Amino acid sequence: MNAPRPHSRRIFLRRAGLSTLAVSGGASFLTACASGGSDDEDDVSGGGEEQTAENPFGVDAADPLHVVIFNGGYGDQYAKFHEGIYQEQFPDAQIEHEAITDIRQQMQPLFNAGNPPDVLDNAGAEQMPISTLADTGQLTDLTDLWAADALGFEGMTVEETLHPIAIEAAEYADRPYVMNYALQVYGIWYDRALFDERGWEPAQTWSEFMDLCETIKSAGIAPMAHQGKYPYYIQQVVLDLAVKHGGPEVAYAIDSLEPDAWQNDSIRMAAEALLEVKNGGYMLEGTEGLDHIQSQTRWNEHKAAFIPSGSWLENEQAQVAPPSFETTVAPTPLLEGAVLPFDCTRLEAAESFIVPAQAANQVGGLEYLRIMLSRDGAREFTELTSAPTVVNGAAEGVEASPGLASSLALIESGGENNWNYYFRIWYSPMAPKIETAVGELAAGRISADEFCDRCQEAADETAADPATQKRTRP
Amino acid sequence: MQYGKYRFIVGFLIVPLALYGTFVISPFVQTIYYSFTDWTGVSPEFEYVGFANYEFLLEDDLFREAFFNNIVLLVGLPVFTVLLALLFAFLLNVGGTGAGVRGIAGNGFYKLAFFMPQVLSVPVIAVIWTVIFSPESEGLANSFLGWLGLGPYDWLASPSMALYCVLWVLVWGSVGFYLVLFNAAMSSVPRDIFEAAFIDGAGRLSTFVRVTMPLLWDTIQTSWVYLAILALDAYALVFVMTIGPGGPDNSTQVMALRIAQEGFQNGKAGYASAMGVVLFLVTLVIAALLLRATRRERIEY
Amino acid sequence: MATKTRATRGDISVSAASHIVLIIWSFVVIVPFVWTLVASTKTTREIFGDPWSLPADPQWNNYESAWDKNVGEYLLNSVVVVSGGVVLTMLFGSMVAYVLARYPFPGNRFIFYLFASGMMFPVFLALVPLFFVVKSFGMLSTFHGLILVYVAYSLPFTVFFMHAFFRTLPTSVAEAAVMDGASHTGVFFRVMLPMAKPGLLSIGIFNILGQWNQFVLPQFLSPDRPLLTQAVASLLSNQRYRADWGTVFAFLAIAMIPVILAYLAFYRQVQSGLTSGTLK
Repeated sequence: MNAPRPHSRRIFLRRAGLSTLAVSGGASFLTACASGGSDDEDDVSGGGEEQTAENPFGVDAADPLHVVIFNGGYGDQYAKFHEGIYQEQFPDAQIEHEAITDIRQQMQPLFNAGNPPDVLDNAGAEQMPISTLADTGQLTDLTDLWAADALGFEGMTVEETLHPIAIEAAEYADRPYVMNYALQVYGIWYDRALFDERGWEPAQTWSEFMDLCETIKSAGIAPMAHQGKYPYYIQQVVLDLAVKHGGPEVAYAIDSLEPDAWQNDSIRMAAEALLEVKNGGYMLEGTEGLDHIQSQTRWNEHKAAFIPSGSWLENEQAQVAPPSFETTVAPTPLLEGAVLPFDCTRLEAAESFIVPAQAANQVGGLEYLRIMLSRDGAREFTELTSAPTVVNGAAEGVEASPGLASSLALIESGGENNWNYYFRIWYSPMAPKIETAVGELAAGRISADEFCDRCQEAADETAADPATQKRTRP
Repeated sequence: MQYGKYRFIVGFLIVPLALYGTFVISPFVQTIYYSFTDWTGVSPEFEYVGFANYEFLLEDDLFREAFFNNIVLLVGLPVFTVLLALLFAFLLNVGGTGAGVRGIAGNGFYKLAFFMPQVLSVPVIAVIWTVIFSPESEGLANSFLGWLGLGPYDWLASPSMALYCVLWVLVWGSVGFYLVLFNAAMSSVPRDIFEAAFIDGAGRLSTFVRVTMPLLWDTIQTSWVYLAILALDAYALVFVMTIGPGGPDNSTQVMALRIAQEGFQNGKAGYASAMGVVLFLVTLVIAALLLRATRRERIEY
Repeated sequence: MATKTRATRGDISVSAASHIVLIIWSFVVIVPFVWTLVASTKTTREIFGDPWSLPADPQWNNYESAWDKNVGEYLLNSVVVVSGGVVLTMLFGSMVAYVLARYPFPGNRFIFYLFASGMMFPVFLALVPLFFVVKSFGMLSTFHGLILVYVAYSLPFTVFFMHAFFRTLPTSVAEAAVMDGASHTGVFFRVMLPMAKPGLLSIGIFNILGQWNQFVLPQFLSPDRPLLTQAVASLLSNQRYRADWGTVFAFLAIAMIPVILAYLAFYRQVQSGLTSGTLK
């Protein structure tokens, strides 16, 4: 009647082995149990078949595959396509496909019981804390996946086809554990059609941007809105301004929890800049209390000209935006003395796909991921969702909407200057504190100095906490 | 004397106790166990850490802020809900004009209408009120106050107002049920008692205080305790309605939200369990105090 | 004895003031409700763009898409679980409360506090262990599993509430029944329970509402056989990713119907049950 309370990994694995036995046959039982009490991170379950060119992980054709997809902004159509390819390759495999939104509610018990799915798309508001999963050995090492042949790309390994930020985002303790699938492009978004009509252009420097705001304001439109309820969005702008001004070292310092990382001048200048926008009356009235749908809807209605967001925006507002609306991304303007060029931005490798370490068919999971990263697989995703993937060049030939086209263009033009940060994933207790401070800043209730102090305080607390795993960059 | 008294007692208690023990007590006890470990919530591996979680809790500023916010709700929710519900119950039963003691006209309509909030579930209520409390000047609350020449206010976006908005919505969502409760209790008070009071020249207010309330005391006491527990456990509403959630600037942070955040987002299920145990103890103490403070002689009639 | 036969001026002004207060509250209570209904016929843009105006073109197809999202099935699931849950809760809750209230025995107080303290623990903390308990009985995503869990979690307040109620019932009637040869169970079912009707009705409504609106438990324990409120909560959180609020509100409107019906049914019962003077 009581829940099993495993006190050692050995006992636990034995139980996992037993359940695996029931599910996928003798071979996996032996593989799972073989190393008993030793560190068996290198032993992978499932498979046992010969490793060939077509089947680099030795997937057993009869083993079932359990795929769980987060049914959010990207839907799950793309997953059905990928499963179709897997099925063609392994016609005898039973594929269980689940598309849910409450990832944590449904997956947490499975992880605790030792029978998680083979592939999990860990995304959404109810996602599992991924850095915790990595730290507790719950994820399969993807090194073999990285080294395998890429499908649809002659002579290249999977790793070689991926955007550098995806490779960076995958790593914990210098090994890849997470396959982030979607490449999200951040920036400030506007309606190209509106701007063309009024003869406006997104500004490149900050002073030009202020002038533009004045022009927009006198036309009766609020220059900027933001998703007040989720300060995460406007936080992007602050960080983007800071990093473009001070270079990627600004982000490295923050992610590495270096002392005084948040007292950096670039960050202070960025905070001042945001205050300029707020105090100049350029923010949409009431935006601090609006959630993302409400504020984005106002933006679709031309009540505001710019809104910070990411490349999912077009898809998210698809039902709301009028047909003539051309969702387009603009990079944030450059502060005085910026070291990076205008045409770059933050790229996030998101939509984290993992193969849990306790999964019954780990090699099947790896093969499935390889299929997702194939040229056809990636292109299908972009076709269905209008969102870029982390696979370079896979979006070629896709008919691109304005949002997608401008996103792809920015990925291209930014090149190596595109940057990312990880503190949100690495130090999950710290992130909400930063966001709280950003919220206060965006509302004009604190000064730039206070903002830096508060962020620094949160960072210092995290650095001093013995329970938090510290990581460094680059 | 009746036979088989103990057999009767056991017979009546055994099934419910078994159910309760299996599905409620057992998981709770396990949670207490987890509070002494560093369980992450996502892994079957964890270690015993003694009182470390509790020590950390004493230093946790955020938890302390949450605690004080809960105290605000703890005071506000029972007071306003019970007062409003009592008031409406009284008006509906005794507020009418005319001969003797009558309910007010339109009784039936009011009773039906006031129950409406109970029909909606918490996430829905949260969404609706978030829209009403929109800080834009066209938001309903602001445009309404605009007619009166007040506002516009930031409501949920203002660190000083947000918690009170949450309190208001909690009250709004609770009055309906307690009105039905008090109404029922009042209806079972024989009319003669009220009439007698009137004859003796008692005004409405003193009738209310000296006659109605003592007769309803048990019901009021139970309601009070339950509302207090609701105030301490508030989670779903805060989660959906507030900025952050828990903001702006931690002004609507509450203990239950902290537990969910630490346990589910930060991978600190052991720590969250410790918070849960503390919350449980706090609730226990407060409930016991309330029951003791409001103890009165029961009136049989 | 003379009673007042005519309303005095004081009476009228008090009554007028009462009406004003009540009308204000009616407004406060009805507007959000009506808003939900109107929103169910709007497009997403209209709901958030012009929240306070009527739709340009009522989108009745929102109801169709809500139906396509299986709202009917979830409704049925909820009705089954809540019916079973409430009946059993009331039965077991009264049984326990009665025994604890009227029969002193060693351990009586302890058991009472055991139940009462159950009200004070935040449920979602116990979810993971609870999941394993339910799983070990093979009761995940089953009606009976959910019902039993619902009952277990509703017992604390029901016991707490009915305990107070049973304490106030006069002993005279019970004693008379015993003299007539009634057994313990007989006294309970034939005398005490009917006398406790007002309390039962109140706590009955409370349990119906509480169990109907519960979504955290089924989210964890019944992922494959969803209940209505958990579907609503899911839908709402899903809205962060795909804005289709018109359908959501249509879904909500449909979800409200059973509760309104239950209340209307009970409402009459409450009125007739309470004013029949059974307590005297």
